[in-house]
Amino acid sequence: MFRNYLKIAWRNLMRHKGYSAINIAGLTVGIAACLLIYIVVQYETSFNKQNKNYRNIYHIVTQSVQGNDVSYTPGITVPAVPALRTDLPEATIAAMDVSYGSQITIPAGSGHADKKFIEHSGVVFIEPQYFDLFDSEWIAGNKAVLAEPNMVVIDKSTAIKYFGDWQHAEGKFLKMDNLIDLKIAGVIEDVVSNSDFPFKVLVSYVTLKNYPNNYNYSDEWGSNSSNHQVMLLMPPGESIESVNARLKVFSKKHYTFDIRGTFNFLQPLSDLHFDTRFGNTTGDHITSKATLFTLSFIGVLIIIMASINFINLTTAQSVGRSKEVGIRKVLGSSRKQLVFQLLGETTMIVVTSGFLALIVAKLALPYLENISSVPKTMGLLSAGSVLFLISTLISVVVLSGIYPALILSGFKPVLAIKNKITAASIGGVPLRRGLVVAQFAISQLLIIGTLVALNQMNFVNSADLGFNSSAVLVIPGYTDSLSLQKMGQFKQQQLQKPQVKSVSFISDAPSSDNNWASNFYFDQAPDDVDFTVFLKAGDADYFKTFGLQFVAGGGYAPSDTINQMVVNETLIKKLGIKNPKAALGKTLRIGGRGVWAPIVGVVKDFKTNSLREEVKPIIIAPGKRVLSLAAIKIQTGSLTQTVAEIQKLWEKTYPEYAYNGYFVDERIAQFYKQENQLALIYKLFAGVAIFISCLGLYGLVSFMAVQRTKEVGIRKVLGASVGSIVYLFSKEFLILLSISFLIAMPIGWYMMNGWLQSFVYRIDLGAGVFLAAILLSVFIAGLTFGYKAITTALVNPIKSLRSE
Amino acid sequence: MIKITDLEKFYRTEEVETIALNKLSMEINTGEFVAIMGPSGCGKSTLLNILGMLDDPDGGSYMFNGAEIAHFTERKRANLRKHNLGFVFQSFNLIDELTVFENVELPLIYTKVPAKERLSRVEAVLEKMQIMHRRNHYPQQLSGGQQQRVAIARAVVNNPKLILADEPTGNLDSSNGNDVMELLTDLNEQGTTIIMVTHSEHDARYSHRIIRLLDGQTVLENILI
Ligand SMILES: Nc1ncnc2c1ncn2[C@@H]1O[C@H](COP(=O)(O)OP(=O)(O)OP(=O)(O)O)[C@@H](O)[C@H]1O
Ligand SMILES: [Mg+2]
Repeated sequence: MFRNYLKIAWRNLMRHKGYSAINIAGLTVGIAACLLIYIVVQYETSFNKQNKNYRNIYHIVTQSVQGNDVSYTPGITVPAVPALRTDLPEATIAAMDVSYGSQITIPAGSGHADKKFIEHSGVVFIEPQYFDLFDSEWIAGNKAVLAEPNMVVIDKSTAIKYFGDWQHAEGKFLKMDNLIDLKIAGVIEDVVSNSDFPFKVLVSYVTLKNYPNNYNYSDEWGSNSSNHQVMLLMPPGESIESVNARLKVFSKKHYTFDIRGTFNFLQPLSDLHFDTRFGNTTGDHITSKATLFTLSFIGVLIIIMASINFINLTTAQSVGRSKEVGIRKVLGSSRKQLVFQLLGETTMIVVTSGFLALIVAKLALPYLENISSVPKTMGLLSAGSVLFLISTLISVVVLSGIYPALILSGFKPVLAIKNKITAASIGGVPLRRGLVVAQFAISQLLIIGTLVALNQMNFVNSADLGFNSSAVLVIPGYTDSLSLQKMGQFKQQQLQKPQVKSVSFISDAPSSDNNWASNFYFDQAPDDVDFTVFLKAGDADYFKTFGLQFVAGGGYAPSDTINQMVVNETLIKKLGIKNPKAALGKTLRIGGRGVWAPIVGVVKDFKTNSLREEVKPIIIAPGKRVLSLAAIKIQTGSLTQTVAEIQKLWEKTYPEYAYNGYFVDERIAQFYKQENQLALIYKLFAGVAIFISCLGLYGLVSFMAVQRTKEVGIRKVLGASVGSIVYLFSKEFLILLSISFLIAMPIGWYMMNGWLQSFVYRIDLGAGVFLAAILLSVFIAGLTFGYKAITTALVNPIKSLRSE
Repeated sequence: MIKITDLEKFYRTEEVETIALNKLSMEINTGEFVAIMGPSGCGKSTLLNILGMLDDPDGGSYMFNGAEIAHFTERKRANLRKHNLGFVFQSFNLIDELTVFENVELPLIYTKVPAKERLSRVEAVLEKMQIMHRRNHYPQQLSGGQQQRVAIARAVVNNPKLILADEPTGNLDSSNGNDVMELLTDLNEQGTTIIMVTHSEHDARYSHRIIRLLDGQTVLENILI
């Protein structure tokens, strides 16, 4: 019996090669797309779960309420660490201070000179308690070594990178930021990639206390750096609400005066990877749940589309199979047997597609890193993905097989044998139309998504930032006294090059994802202003280098300390000053212990952060001690060559440091990595969806063409023109297309409008996008069925009539 | 074997109601060879479909081997059908995707005959129908007469007690038609009951009894032997 089914199934496949190919191609692409989406979603949701304390680990974070501003930072103040140990005695607390860029130098040894490495991530000052929270495998040493100052633990692959092997790393020395000598006291196994704690150079936390100025380490309650973070392990059974209530009391007690309004609360480890309120995590990236949801949603849509193709083609074809079904029934096949037979055929197609999908997914996997954070090394097959594939296959069989099987097996044998089953009599026509509408709607939805995302990203990437970001090279340097001394000389030498237009030492580019926030006082008032101000420091050439425009006054005179300030329009607006000129001469003071300094200029607003955020109130002031970056404006043209020359000079000036320059506009583009990826995802999957729906459409039109050959013949004999016959074919599809547009438009609007809300600066969601979407889908659909419709219309009528 | 009483069948379309069978009664005994004749549209096929349990009557009773079929579920009827009935149609109704051998094998598969036995039984019946040499051909590769022989082979492979034939010679020339009638007569002589619908007086003469229908009612019965 089973063999018989397989045989019939196989021959059916072969006899209708075209339809089978369409079904298999659609399903293959659909399943492969879903599998890849699964891998991305699975990867992102697996973050940190490998820790056995996963459920009981928390991140203590900070919320600051100042007037109407509520801001969040993952950091917590330094003195809070011992205070928390006192107030939450049952918790295990681990503090860490993350460095987002450090130079590690391996001192010259036998056979090699100094080896310099720039580590953009993974360098951290950390307490030994960290290892009570997180699982780690020690290859050499143990956590106790981190209780001593000037000790460092590195991971295996870093050991290999620095020393060539990990066996002999223990006991060797390295130098951090040309400042701290560290002894390697332990080696740990590499941290898995799906961890938000990818530490590879772990310096003992107590070391930090000896270098407060270099790492913004301050033991004041009022100073909070987002780099200084605290994790804690609560005993099982402790409720997060009760701990948060205690933290509220804790915050009230310790955050007083101008830092009242600061509160600590717990962020469960399970939320850490998805909580977009906090920018700087210790990991590589975070992913919003909304993005994962969008991805999964797209995956489901695509599977539905592929299943719809299947249902449409199978029910359409079922008319041709009615005779077979009728005969089988006459010969004694029960309905159940028929359903199983037909489901068997579906299963065969679906399983074939599943295998092909595996191959396609395998080939596409290495490219996944372009649209997601999944590492290149990610494998395709895991228990999860196999299970997912199997359950996808089963649901596709059920989704796409049951209905046609029920329809076919329900045929009355007498009618079926007489070939009296027509497309109309099986009642599938409205359903098929409905499914085509659904398919069109899904494609259009994805087209709308693509167009909006691309438009917005285009807008973002080419937006006027209010300053000149192109051809400005930034070289991160250091603020040790020796480096600061060399500033002037370096600047003069660079300026001698004709291609260098301007050089400025700065703390921060005009647009960046750094936020250096402070409370501030205005116009000699005793109380601080009720909003936070953001600081950027730079020497007097800051304005020239970045082409900032003044609406009143001008830049400040060169100075090593803060004695004059420039502010932006937003700041004075927020202070209630209408005329920028009126602000000149008024005094400002940064923080409770700063000095009063007058405003000498007001710059036109520029985009201070990414376009997701409002322009912030900004103070730009001199202050030599924090100017760690050299910004160099270069004449466009011979960029590469000039950069090489600048690098040479830089390395000569600062021989102990590794060169690590970048262009400001490239860094700004990095702000939108996730969004650009999302736009790419939309583009990709809209392509997949369009492909699948075109396949289905092509199949349906081919089927219609076969079904209506006789009708077309008769019409032509009676004098119908080719045009009128093509119209006959297209009319229905155009109507269906319009209906689907009416469905896709509001959903698309709702979806993409929601997405655009995450940008403060965004495109208008006008009629244009929707018009383009429908025109595009009409065009694509027209291409798909136009050819078939025309060839059918062109057939010699005698031929089509004889074939009856 | 078969006893129908006041059998009724209506076809309702939007405008008209056709009475296909009008309180039809008849009895057919085991071992009989009955021909049913009548003008086009008089209800012959309708009757045969009901007798073959492919269709439900709208009224009256249908006793098959002493059991009332009218109340049977579709499942029960399918079961009864596959063990007791064989069908031969005017248009052969072979499955195009299956070979001659596989077409004939199909009823045995549905009655769960083991594969080995299937092979021998199908070969035997193909031999008998003199179509063995075409066992691996597909229906489209055969002549009409050959196709009908395959169809008959398929109808008898399960040793049915009753064969229902609806114009079995309708699509055949007279020589092929006579071959088919000879086959049916042979089967009848070996004990199979046969009910055959035909328009041909010539073919009808192979039977024992001719029942003539008009507008869904019996008008005449000719006993030939
Ligand atoms: N599916 C149907 N719907 C409506 N009326 C039907 C249907 N099938 C048969 N009829 C009608 O029932 C009557 C009997 O039809 P039936 O097919 O039994 O005739 P017949 O005697 O077999 O004719 P023929 O010799 O042409 O095959 C006819 O009037 C026919 O029009
Ligand atoms: Mg008939």
